[in-house]
Amino acid sequence: MRLPRRDGETIDRDDRRTFTFDGKEVQAYAGDTIGSALYANGQRIFTRSFKYHRPRGLSCAAGNCAGCLMEVDGEPSVKACTRTVQGGEVVRSQTISGSLERDPMRVVDHVAGPVTPVGFYYRLGIRPKAAWPHIERMLRRMTGLGRVGEAPPKPHRADVEHRTAGVLVIGAGRSGQEAAARYAAEGRQVILVDERAEYASLAIDGVEVIAPGTALGVYEGRLVPVHADGLMHRIRAEKIVVATGSIDQPLLFEGNDLPGVMTPSAVRRLVGLWSIRPGTRAVVLAADEAGDEAARLLREAGTQVVETIDLRGVRPPKVKAAARHGLLAAVEIDGRKIDCDLLVASAGRQPAYSLLAQSGCSVRFDAEKGIFAPDQLVDGVEAAGSVTGEGAAVLAAAEGAGKRTFVCPCEDVTAKDLVRAVGEGFEDIEIAKRYTTVTMGPCQGRLCHLHSVRALARATGVGEAALGTTTARPPWQPTPLGDVGGRKLNPGKRTALHDANRRAGAQYVWTGVWRRPDHYGDAAAEIKAVHEGVGLMDVSTLGKLYVSGPDAEAFLDGVFPNRISTLKVDRVRYGIFNTDSGRIIDDGTIIRVGERDFLVTTSSGGVDQVYEAFLLWVAERKLAVDVVNVSGALSAVSLSGPKAREVLSRVTDVDVANEAFKFLDVRQGAVAGASALLMRIGFLGELGYEIHFPSTAAEHVWEALMKAGAEFGILPLGVEALKALRLEKGHIIVGIDTDSETTMLECGMGPMIAWDKGEFVGNEALGRMNERGADRALVGFTADDLPNEGTAVLVGGEVGGRVTSARRSAVSGQVIGLAYVPAAIGSEGSAFELDLGEGRRGGAKVHIGAFYDPDGERMRG
Amino acid sequence: MKDLLRPGRMWRTGLPLKKRYDVVIIGGGVQGLATAYYLAKNHGITDVAVLEKSYIGSGGSGRNTAIVRSNYRTPEGASFYQASLDLYDDLSAELDFNIMLTKRGVLSLAHSERALATATERASVNQKLGIDSRVIGLDEVRRRVPALNTSRDVTWPILGALIHPGGAILRHDAVVWGYARGADRRGVEIHPFTEVTGLDTSGDRVTKIRTPRGDIEAGTVLSATAGWSSGICKMVGLRLPMKTYVLQAFVTEPIRPLLVETVVSTQMRLYVHQTTRGELVAGAEAEPYPTYQGRSTLTFIESISRYLVELFPAIRDVSILRTWSGLCDVTPDYSPIIDRTPLANFIVSAGWGTYGFKAAPIVGVTLSKLIATNQVDPLIKPFGLHRFTDDRFISEAASAAMSH
Amino acid sequence: MSFLIPCPHCGNRPQPEFAYGGNIGDDPPGSMLDVLSEDLYFNDNTAGEQFERWFHRFGCERWIVIRRDTRTNQVSEGWEGVDAP
Repeated sequence: MRLPRRDGETIDRDDRRTFTFDGKEVQAYAGDTIGSALYANGQRIFTRSFKYHRPRGLSCAAGNCAGCLMEVDGEPSVKACTRTVQGGEVVRSQTISGSLERDPMRVVDHVAGPVTPVGFYYRLGIRPKAAWPHIERMLRRMTGLGRVGEAPPKPHRADVEHRTAGVLVIGAGRSGQEAAARYAAEGRQVILVDERAEYASLAIDGVEVIAPGTALGVYEGRLVPVHADGLMHRIRAEKIVVATGSIDQPLLFEGNDLPGVMTPSAVRRLVGLWSIRPGTRAVVLAADEAGDEAARLLREAGTQVVETIDLRGVRPPKVKAAARHGLLAAVEIDGRKIDCDLLVASAGRQPAYSLLAQSGCSVRFDAEKGIFAPDQLVDGVEAAGSVTGEGAAVLAAAEGAGKRTFVCPCEDVTAKDLVRAVGEGFEDIEIAKRYTTVTMGPCQGRLCHLHSVRALARATGVGEAALGTTTARPPWQPTPLGDVGGRKLNPGKRTALHDANRRAGAQYVWTGVWRRPDHYGDAAAEIKAVHEGVGLMDVSTLGKLYVSGPDAEAFLDGVFPNRISTLKVDRVRYGIFNTDSGRIIDDGTIIRVGERDFLVTTSSGGVDQVYEAFLLWVAERKLAVDVVNVSGALSAVSLSGPKAREVLSRVTDVDVANEAFKFLDVRQGAVAGASALLMRIGFLGELGYEIHFPSTAAEHVWEALMKAGAEFGILPLGVEALKALRLEKGHIIVGIDTDSETTMLECGMGPMIAWDKGEFVGNEALGRMNERGADRALVGFTADDLPNEGTAVLVGGEVGGRVTSARRSAVSGQVIGLAYVPAAIGSEGSAFELDLGEGRRGGAKVHIGAFYDPDGERMRG
Repeated sequence: MKDLLRPGRMWRTGLPLKKRYDVVIIGGGVQGLATAYYLAKNHGITDVAVLEKSYIGSGGSGRNTAIVRSNYRTPEGASFYQASLDLYDDLSAELDFNIMLTKRGVLSLAHSERALATATERASVNQKLGIDSRVIGLDEVRRRVPALNTSRDVTWPILGALIHPGGAILRHDAVVWGYARGADRRGVEIHPFTEVTGLDTSGDRVTKIRTPRGDIEAGTVLSATAGWSSGICKMVGLRLPMKTYVLQAFVTEPIRPLLVETVVSTQMRLYVHQTTRGELVAGAEAEPYPTYQGRSTLTFIESISRYLVELFPAIRDVSILRTWSGLCDVTPDYSPIIDRTPLANFIVSAGWGTYGFKAAPIVGVTLSKLIATNQVDPLIKPFGLHRFTDDRFISEAASAAMSH
Repeated sequence: MSFLIPCPHCGNRPQPEFAYGGNIGDDPPGSMLDVLSEDLYFNDNTAGEQFERWFHRFGCERWIVIRRDTRTNQVSEGWEGVDAP
């Protein structure tokens, strides 16, 4: 089959490679594709079709059809005709349920094919209803192309590179090369891309060539992802030149999908690139010069061209291909039978305009040429060569649709199917496409789009121009998920104490974008340490905004619902941040460090939103305020427990005596030698200090505190201890106890609001809700059984709310929690039920205020 | 058997447009067609025209990912969608057209304690209403979906899931076509490629519907135009509490059976199921800015591909075949607006976000009742415009981080 | 990746660097419904050109204003500040 050495061939005869196909060894040369090597070795049936399991073979040899889909090293549905042989591949045929040559499912073609018209399944299995699930399961087992999951995918590269280009030229044919050279000569930075491996060695001065590389689409902002061997180049181009050429369109006739029926391009590639004789006896039906060239090449290759029929300008002949053992054996032309094993046929060439259409370019039907061609281009996108429609033309199909005239071989849709669909009322191209699935297969409409529009146009009597086209959608070539997605990359944030935490045995959890210690091995011990000794927690994830300037006080009065202007220097106050519609976004503290200087802390996840909202408020009102996000610059720890003062006193020069550093006081001083901002707060219910200091000193401060606390049994605290300890105090955590609708009024924070201070974020909406009263209340509760968080609250048997947090108290041993209940029962002692699942219910009682140390003596003491 | 092999016409085409109809429905999507169908079937109102600016089902009806379910967070939402699911269950027989509904279940993964709490809440609410929905542990997740990577060595390890066995997938176009055929056979006129270009009002009534094919009068006008609702309502001087976003999805080449359930990951903002044909269909959240531009974005397929491969390592080499997008109309609380308006003969169904298709049958039943009898069905009562003027939302927001 | 946004401080940058901050200049609340609710929740949802605010989150960390056509995502210009020019 292999011809003697020819000029221009891309195979290297001195470099032999082998791979296996369905277990058999196949010989190849470097430069072969899996498809070409198989063809050279005499393989003719490459796969079977999706619906009817008809034999299919090499038909375009250019990656434009689905006739050669195979599994290569576990990758399903690879176009074998364009996959270069590396050597050692394990190739398996797919979409078969037997062997390629003997597939018992071909019975579907013989029996069902003619009697399962398009839309058949919409009428099948309706009654009895119980039958359909069985039919569906059976259909599932019959369908699908490739296999996955039988062997783990072979690891390979999947990377992304972000690039820019002055000019990106897509298509390295003659026009593409010319355009690339022209722009390079102008001094533009040019990248030339082509999906064909034979252009890998192309060299043009000043042009970077990526081949084989596939431009998958044209996205907004002239962004073109180019897929090249596991590397995704994301190219942002100033200008795009689309020179994707045109694609041989199949000629429509009975049996046009048989192995042995080929387009002229396949002949050109088989002979020209791989020096393979495509067949022994050939018939050529030529619609354009590509057909003429194919006939010439065949003769050169020693194929006997028994007949060449020029289709141009003549009445289209009636063609029928006949098979023996699934392969082309003869062709009947107007009733005249000619034996042959190769039928080269095309209806002409249709511009490959898909990328242009994706870029926003309009497309129109050229009735004279019988093609769709690009019309109005968009800014920054050019078209060059036959993609413009220049030199392209496609003959109309012959009258009379055969039962096995495949308009869409991928989906096994015949011309008759389309006529039938129109007869049923599916007259528009888009709706007919959805009904028949024409153009929806792996060829992305390359071979079937034009023919299907023209078939519909004929059936409806509406012109092609009026019917229009279907939307061009990326990707231009099917592309593996792993290559599109690239490497696993989910960045998380770590605090400056991450390593110190890890050394201390932290088990991490995600909290938003942060990786935080959940516990350090024993959350119960951590909780106990806070109640009885001392605990240290990394709270560096807190958002920290430094707010300063002449209008700082007025600004904070505007963004917070409570009054901040009355906050004295060196004092801290709790604050809630709301939306314009009065819903809680975030909470935190406001620390006054000077007349015009404040530090505002936010929750770990809320800082971006609050920061942006702050800046917007400042800009809208043109306030003289600076807001600086110092979240990363400052680290913070919270030191809590009855021994906290003792521990702190050993590492700071600040007077920590109770009367000198009171609850909610703020001090500045040195902690372990680092300059720090200290505040006394009590989120965890015991005597506690929150200490902020430069991140560069983080590990030093942490270790100094741990050392100072060693004799009191200090333990590092994780998020679990935090959740449990604050629950004892009835403190909410935004995002856990609040949802997108929660208001301060529902959380019992109404009294915080300074209604009389004028405009603040959310004041109107909150005012209205305050007048009519809240519908639900977030309350504490005690219960007999520990409910899962999320458990429904039942009132009178109906769902009346839900549990947001629940734990068994380490102090009282009681089940405590927070829950939404109807406002009507939101008072101390009201009883409700918890839906514990599987029909079980548990009793619960509303508890207002903290569960632990309700008067706050421990944190104030 | 004869009907199987020689199907007749689905609907009449090329009908002339009359001067007046009892009811004009703007929007030939699944909701508009379902409403027309039930107007004719349940109420005998057949002097109905459905005006569609493109082909029927061209909007969200043909662009959604064809998942139907009822495991909603709010009792109002869950009962409403369960009623819809019940109708879907019998719809193939009702329409004598196989919508290929298959109850393969919906599995919503929980990657965090927070997500488990939301799952628990949904299961609680659902079970109370008799909806099959429960939280399952990692072992059962593994058993049901062996292809899932349930190891700890991933970005977001799986802790458990909410399983909703009644959730189903189906052929979305078939629902559109089935309702269209049913409505057409009962005398409803379907007018594709008939865009409404203006609405005239006088007093508190819509008096004229303008189209390039001529002006029409109608007893009642219904807008069922999803992402385009704001534009239609603007014609009568009404604003809606919604914004239009674009939602994207993609489909892979068909592969041999791998997934039974629809798998949802709120954390990864994706959902995926395998069709009867073998394709994997995956979708994600909307782009974070309002737009009417339906071009796919690269960011979308990149992030979804990456996450899918992390969830299902075996599909790394499965190829993406086609991406597409659709508009969705999102309200502040992610629940719909299905209500009368200050204009006496103008009714709106909008703000469906990503739930419009799931709701179609029950929307058809309840809206046709509203149009025919002026009675607001209890199922749709919570979804009126009043909740925005009262500021009492029906918030699906907590679970609507997931758009499917 | 989506369209490019012309940041007046940083130049053309891809949209994902920015956070959307809503549009400017919806019609004032009408009389059909409650004024406060209309102001809070009802909007024009314009299909066409509108001025909108974006925050350059992964850039200069400033609010800017652009004019964008919501039907095409074509952005015609960008301005400093938070007010429509």
